[in-house]
Amino acid sequence: MAKKPDLLPGTLDMLILKTLTRAPLHGYGIALSIKRLSDDVLTVEEGSLYPALQRLLLQGWVKAEWKMTETNRRARFYTLTAAGRKQLGVELSQFEQMIAAIGRVLQDAQEA
Amino acid sequence: MEPLNLFLKKLRLLVTRKRFGSELDEEMAFHRDQAEREFIDGGMTAEAAKHAAMRQFGNSTRVKEKSHEAVGFSFESVWQDLRYAARQLASNPGFTAVITLTLALSIGANSAIFSVIEGVLLKPLPYPHSEQIVRLFLTSAEYPKFPLNPFDFLDFRARNKSFASMAAFTRDDMQLSGSGEPVQLSGFGITSGYFRVLGLKPQLGREFDFNAEIPGNGQQVILSNRLWRTRFEGAADIVGRKITLNMKPYTVIGVMPEGTEHPGNDYHSLPYGESVDVWWPFEFEGNSSQRGSHYIEGVARLKDGVQPAQANAEMNAMMAQLGREHEGDTGWNVLVIPLYREVVGANQRMLWVLLGAVGMVLLIACANAANLLLARAAARQREVAVRLALGAPRRRLVRQMLTESLLISLLGGGLGAALAEGGVRALVALLPAGFPRAHDIHVNALVFAFTFLVSIATGVLFGLAPALQASRIDPKRGLYEGGRSSTGSARQGRLRNALVISEVSLACVLLIGAGLMLRSFLNQLHLNAGFKKDHVLTASLSLPQAVYKKDTDIARFYDRLMANLSTLPGVESAGAGSDLPWTGYDENAGGFTIEGKKAPPHQEFHARYHMATPDYFRALGTPLVRGRFFTEADKDGAPYVVIVNQAMAVRYWPNEVVIGKRFTFADAPKEKDWFTIVGVVADVKDKPSSPGAEPAFWWSHLQQPSRDMLVVIRASSDPRLLVDSLRDQVRRLDPSLAVADIRLMDQVADESIATPRFSFFLVGLFAGLAIVLAAIGTYGVISYSVSQRIPEFGLRLALGAPPGDVLRLVLAQAAQLAITGAVAGVIVALGLARVLRSLMYNVSPADPLTFTAVGLGVVAIALIACYLPARRATRTSPMIALRTE
Repeated sequence: MAKKPDLLPGTLDMLILKTLTRAPLHGYGIALSIKRLSDDVLTVEEGSLYPALQRLLLQGWVKAEWKMTETNRRARFYTLTAAGRKQLGVELSQFEQMIAAIGRVLQDAQEA
Repeated sequence: MEPLNLFLKKLRLLVTRKRFGSELDEEMAFHRDQAEREFIDGGMTAEAAKHAAMRQFGNSTRVKEKSHEAVGFSFESVWQDLRYAARQLASNPGFTAVITLTLALSIGANSAIFSVIEGVLLKPLPYPHSEQIVRLFLTSAEYPKFPLNPFDFLDFRARNKSFASMAAFTRDDMQLSGSGEPVQLSGFGITSGYFRVLGLKPQLGREFDFNAEIPGNGQQVILSNRLWRTRFEGAADIVGRKITLNMKPYTVIGVMPEGTEHPGNDYHSLPYGESVDVWWPFEFEGNSSQRGSHYIEGVARLKDGVQPAQANAEMNAMMAQLGREHEGDTGWNVLVIPLYREVVGANQRMLWVLLGAVGMVLLIACANAANLLLARAAARQREVAVRLALGAPRRRLVRQMLTESLLISLLGGGLGAALAEGGVRALVALLPAGFPRAHDIHVNALVFAFTFLVSIATGVLFGLAPALQASRIDPKRGLYEGGRSSTGSARQGRLRNALVISEVSLACVLLIGAGLMLRSFLNQLHLNAGFKKDHVLTASLSLPQAVYKKDTDIARFYDRLMANLSTLPGVESAGAGSDLPWTGYDENAGGFTIEGKKAPPHQEFHARYHMATPDYFRALGTPLVRGRFFTEADKDGAPYVVIVNQAMAVRYWPNEVVIGKRFTFADAPKEKDWFTIVGVVADVKDKPSSPGAEPAFWWSHLQQPSRDMLVVIRASSDPRLLVDSLRDQVRRLDPSLAVADIRLMDQVADESIATPRFSFFLVGLFAGLAIVLAAIGTYGVISYSVSQRIPEFGLRLALGAPPGDVLRLVLAQAAQLAITGAVAGVIVALGLARVLRSLMYNVSPADPLTFTAVGLGVVAIALIACYLPARRATRTSPMIALRTE
């Protein structure tokens, strides 16, 4: 089994929040969505996903509701809250700053 | 999000924890189902898809745990650990009891000693800014700490620039009469400003002003709060009232508040605490140019920012100036000692040594607990392996095991605190009489805090090694081998051995300490005492001046009493003297002239002076070195004679024949003014701990009678049987006379060594505890090792090894541990004994006898402790041994 790259530390919350901007999803849906959107590069470990969801719930960035799926099963759907949207903005800008900074360093290293 | 909101949410989740769990379960089950369906869609069989989904999801218990942690309070998992630990301990009551009790004992002992240290050393003295308060003494090579002359004090007070205030005081008790039974009050004559120096203010009235110091103005008094309440019903109008003291009217001018504590005094000392009843004004009587008599004690408060050393320098310069002004002031320096050091100085080191000793006991108890935990961890190896395999993080396992050891140590600490409460009471009762600040020793919040911290530290100390060790278990191996001997146990074995070695060495250190103290204590008691304390009855008599007006009356009374006493059956000899050995008597006579010798400048001849009746030395058992004792012929009218001790003979007549030499106190001596030495007696020190005897001489009591004498009777059998006869004989001569302080010389001697006895007793107690703990520890390890090697022993026996060989094998292992420990202990003790040097008397801190005896003794005890497990090893049945394999 080829080793997949680990998620960058601290990015899981941001990815979950981003995934939820399109539509409410259940846990499995979130994991699947991240996997597909990243072309199978990023895998969310279930061991991290559910604790992370509890954390986001606690912070009030997402809401959870039990709903029926298309296949008529009960599942917990997570919805982004206004606070969550704001938090996503914060995390995105921090992330972009970070990426830009890393990029500059790498570029500098190449030129040297 | 603000913390409060978060907290409330967490709280709500805590209440609905069950629902939270079931929802999470359902959510995860849904997740797995979805994944499984996907695998089936991808072409897997139902069976394979199920497994794949489970594998992909991973450890669902762990996911749940982590989710709980994300929303839970951190104390929840602590609570879980605690419950788990409590279950573990409850399931193993014997183990728990042994560890808890040994810890309780050692933690309790630590807390008790700490209470003493807290009360005596750490608690600030009960005066505001007490660090500014100092005591003032004169000092010279001969008299390191001497009281002040009143007129010197007045000059000190007027001229100094270093002190904010300065005062002097001297003990003089008073008799209160008037309403009710007359009572003896402990009283002090104090100068103006005494309470200002201490930083205390009267609760009623005021303190003495300078006017009160003028002779004739002194009939004023300040009462203690206690006296005011108990004798005067706390009357609000007490100030201004006249009360009768020493049959004279005194005006009450103030009442001191509760908690006015005595700062301690050197001469005729009173205990610390609220021990003073009345203060009266010290009057400066007499000729201010006479600076020879010294009897008041100085106390002063430094100005802000002035160090004691600076003040001392100023005072020395002043004293030198006074020496130029007055002849009597030459040859002195001033000693400025911070009050704190004056109060606790002498006992400071002893108390820290005791804390060190009791700390070592705790370390041994820790090592024992760690050993027991290690042994149990070995038994729990499989459990730990299973939990690791199930995904428990190692950190959590370490925490859990630490929780367990902390729970034990806190239990021990709680129990120890209760023990300390009782222990402190016992300790205070054991303290030598007059121990500074004994009344301040209590188990208080600080002691409880200390106990708590010590308990925590103890728990971590003995729990950490076993916890780390357990967490290092390889789950695979642990599962396969099921806790049987593995490489882990070799490492464990080494750790266990190291623990036992350190236990044995610590016990060895303590025993050596106790041994040195015992020897020093016995030396003080028996080495060159200069008298025999057994079979001696003592009592004090005081002839009232009203009845015994003339010297001849006094001489006749004692002469007849001694004669009558010596004829009693059971009396070997009866004498009387001005004092008893070892009671700190320090009266000096100075300035005498020795025939044919000249004193060097500023070093006048001086010696302790005493009086003695003819049989005084015989009754005390003080050997005569040369010449003779006094006789009935050495009486008034006969030539004056003296007996000197060896120290005086050596000091003033080195390498000379002393008998027949003369000295005098007269400036222009006539022939009859000379005192001729007729005898030399053995040296007796002022106190057992004094480095040596001071030069001393005795006058014949018949020539220099004294009203206050101590009767000494040597009995042929039990001296207690003579008490009634003594009273009887005194009554026959004078029915109105009281016989006071009837004691055996043994008791007098015992009291004089109360402090070294106290420290020896405690260190001995701790050393005893230590060696028992160390023996238990050694027993435990050897016993465990025997149980591990049962198959080996069985095999050996089956192959025909004689049981003696097996016995030797086990004992050799024990001996190796014990000898290593003993050697380490001896080395550490050699290093530490320096600390004890100041507590030693005539014992080398490297005393070979103590070191050898303790070293051998410790090894012997360890071997005895291991004999049982060794015997068990020899009885191994080969069948059983092979079956366990």
